[in-house]
Amino acid sequence: MRELRIAAVADIHLGEDLRGHYRKKIEGIERRADVLLVGGDLTRHGTIAEGRVVAEELSGLPIPVVAVLGNHDYHSDCNQEIIALLRDAGIVVLDDESTVLSIDGVRLGVAGGKGFGGGFAGKCASEFGEPETKAFVRHTKEIAERWRRALKGLDADHRIVLSHYSPVKDTLMGEPPEIYPFLGSYMLAEAADAEGADLIIHGHAHAGTEKGVTPGGIRVRNVALPVIKHAYTVYCLEGDDC
Amino acid sequence: METPHYVAARVQRALAEDDRTAELGIRVDVRGEEIYLRGQVSCDERRRQIENVAREAAPGLRVHNEITLVEVQEAGEEEHL
Ligand SMILES: [Fe+2]
Ligand SMILES: [Fe+2]
Repeated sequence: MRELRIAAVADIHLGEDLRGHYRKKIEGIERRADVLLVGGDLTRHGTIAEGRVVAEELSGLPIPVVAVLGNHDYHSDCNQEIIALLRDAGIVVLDDESTVLSIDGVRLGVAGGKGFGGGFAGKCASEFGEPETKAFVRHTKEIAERWRRALKGLDADHRIVLSHYSPVKDTLMGEPPEIYPFLGSYMLAEAADAEGADLIIHGHAHAGTEKGVTPGGIRVRNVALPVIKHAYTVYCLEGDDC
Repeated sequence: METPHYVAARVQRALAEDDRTAELGIRVDVRGEEIYLRGQVSCDERRRQIENVAREAAPGLRVHNEITLVEVQEAGEEEHL
């Protein structure tokens, strides 16, 4: 089994004003990577017009592209339409589900979705009190449950979780601690740790840091564009022969 | 004079909620009559719009636009996991 080269980025926040810019930076990506994962916040306002720019920038690449949406992509209540137009452009969009790609006979499983907040163990919101608070926490809990199911059924040689929100605090370092509950939730990490994965990719924390690890030992990488400062970063998953 | 704390909060909300900006990651600090904007954006047009929205949300204050432009580089280094 050969090594897999995973290109990843998040928070590209495209709009009419950046049309063509991102595409230029990813030309030739097929020489460096086998797949491109995009961890949400594809747009700024989540409009259909911006969704079309994203579809143009990411479609027709020689390697498969797997994406999830971010909070910005929900802002105009067109998230379902954006998912549909990205899928029409040949992009695999995960909305709390999984996919398996076959790359030279190596099966790469990717599971995930937008994710959500709530905070981290010891300093997190709980499903208690006002309906608004309960709904907030329940949203994350239901997402984590769907990820668990998606991972459980995922038969592949390598497994990656793709998210927008962060599963751990490590990669938020640089963000004000007061907003951690809006940047991620430990429940996302808990789901991945329960079912197992090789890597978790996320974005959303523009001022955070790249590298972290879950309590269960899964590597976490925050690939928000302002963090990695490159069009994408490449992570290599070793094959048997190395 | 309005408490700087609340001015900063109002500007921060305006930057997030105004359609011209939709920026959640800008740090806003108010000191007396001066307002400081810090963060990173990917083009000059966005940096200018942030300044405009901040100025409208805090009329009369002097805006210091210290936002940096991040020029996205082509491809980063590889990491072997
Ligand atoms: Fe973002
Ligand atoms: Fe985000």
